[in-house]
Amino acid sequence: MVITSSRRRVVITGYGMVTPLGKNTEETFENASLGKSGIDYITRFDVSGLPCGIGGEVDDRWLETEGDEKSRWLHTFSSRGLRLMAKATVEAADQAGLDRVITRERIGCVLGFHADNPSVDDLVLLHRHYDGKAWDSSGLLSLEGYAYLNFLRRKPDVAVAILSRLFGCAGPTLSIASACAAGSQAIGEAYRMIQNGKADVMIAGGCDSQLNFVGFVGFVLIKALAEKYSTPQKASRPFDRKRSGFVMSEGAGAVILEELTHARSRGVPILGEVLGYGVSADAYRITDMHPKGLGAILALKGAMADASLSPDDIDYINAHGTSTAQNDPTETIAIKEVFGERARDIPVSSNKSMLGHTIGAAGAIEAVLTLVGMNRSIILPTINYEFPDPKCDLDYVPNEARRKEHRRALSNSFGFGGQNACLCIGRYEARGEQPAVPLESHAA
Amino acid sequence: MKQTLITEQTVIEEVKKGVAETLNIDKGSIKPEHSLMKDLDAESLDFLDITYRLEQTFGIKMARHFVLEHVESMFGEGSAIDENGQLTEKAVELLKIRAGGDLPKEIRAGMDMDEVPALVTVETMARGVMDILDSLPEACTACGSTAWKAEDGIHISCGSCGAHATFDNGDDLTKAWLTKVRKEKKLF
Repeated sequence: MVITSSRRRVVITGYGMVTPLGKNTEETFENASLGKSGIDYITRFDVSGLPCGIGGEVDDRWLETEGDEKSRWLHTFSSRGLRLMAKATVEAADQAGLDRVITRERIGCVLGFHADNPSVDDLVLLHRHYDGKAWDSSGLLSLEGYAYLNFLRRKPDVAVAILSRLFGCAGPTLSIASACAAGSQAIGEAYRMIQNGKADVMIAGGCDSQLNFVGFVGFVLIKALAEKYSTPQKASRPFDRKRSGFVMSEGAGAVILEELTHARSRGVPILGEVLGYGVSADAYRITDMHPKGLGAILALKGAMADASLSPDDIDYINAHGTSTAQNDPTETIAIKEVFGERARDIPVSSNKSMLGHTIGAAGAIEAVLTLVGMNRSIILPTINYEFPDPKCDLDYVPNEARRKEHRRALSNSFGFGGQNACLCIGRYEARGEQPAVPLESHAA
Repeated sequence: MKQTLITEQTVIEEVKKGVAETLNIDKGSIKPEHSLMKDLDAESLDFLDITYRLEQTFGIKMARHFVLEHVESMFGEGSAIDENGQLTEKAVELLKIRAGGDLPKEIRAGMDMDEVPALVTVETMARGVMDILDSLPEACTACGSTAWKAEDGIHISCGSCGAHATFDNGDDLTKAWLTKVRKEKKLF
């Protein structure tokens, strides 16, 4: 490995998550390392008559907030997705001692999130004021006429604003809506902001909850969801020949990124490092991936180039691995193209086999699970791997977690419409040379 | 029963219209033999959009699953698509029966299932619609009259009570056809 620059290093000083497998990182990782599935029949809304009725729901009890000042903001303006994010961020911020950072304008916030879909209740309410030709504006403008607070819940920009308010971050904010790539892209863009000196600390991550009627039916209609399964727990089967689509889940993942010397001066534990970030677009079709994975290849190569690493330096790949007919073989093609002969020697696994697909949250959750796995020398498995698909012929760490030392990994996320992001994450390793630039010169 | 109120030409014109509206292209440039994917640059979601449009137009419910997917779930995995995701000999034979004659030369045993969607043409979509229209019952389910009519050439209704005609859903028709073929040809 060649260290080519003295650019600002970006380390991870906190992480958190809430997923169908657990109320925090520890519980999620523990369950995932046992190969458990977080998928079950959907209970939150009526799925009768739909060809898919399963998903990964987060237990409501995990989201109960204490009677603190934060809960007012969350209850008044927040969508379910953001409440999940707040929960994950509290865990990450506590770990990083974020409230002890004095210079709040040097803390920024990047969130990958699409905000909530309109609820059926909202639509019914609006429908009352419209007869197919004209709006009854007096009814609409009355206090009960329109769920005006819900309007704010549909806006991703409001979500990141609330997040920065909740955690007292006065630095730059950015809202990212790149579907299944959003969580990774949020971490990647936050890493760039620190690298470029725009901030010293960033909250970054993603969240999503499409487990509501309006959101779910959209995915049912485009036939993206798994419809063939013996049990809910068996439905998400990335890289398996009998996969039939992805399983919708909800959740959130958060990290606290920090410039290395900033973290060291605070004396907080350094949990890992973001080494590189690649991002690209297929510029192809909206509902089909590029068949040769050209966009994915660009993202993977970009992340490694950014990290000044070569294929030989990568010990593990956390796959996007959605369990759809298209993604899994295309991702396999991309990995083979980038890694050549070495592709078959690198363990590749999909957390979605256990968690389902948390859309905007997936990239962030998976980046954290990748890091925790590295620190504990455990590679999480791809469960439900039973019937090999000749088009998917890599080492997918089938069904059981593997104990293996590994230091550097890629985490892939490929979004709807061909938006691709790849993070290169490493264990934290002290290097002789540190950035020579004193902290003060970066003051805003 | 085989209906004669809506002609094949009408159905082809309506499929062209649906394709033109979905893909935002000139209807006049679309030929019956055009592959939606290869010649007209459709992507997977466009198929659904075209399907929904045709369902609206004719008041029918089209198949959501390809015939070979039904074979797999009815006659067992591996019967039409092998473990490499390729067509079996039997699958090709079945498709030949379904096409009522020769198949395009690309369709052969060992062909990858991923290549199948590209074979869907304006004509094959129209045939799917015709099959469903031909499930028109002998008599009106509401009043028992057999006087069907289609004044606009597109919508079949009862000449006696005015009720809209009901048709079998496309997936059910495919399944019934497969059961019949299995019995007659002992293919699976």
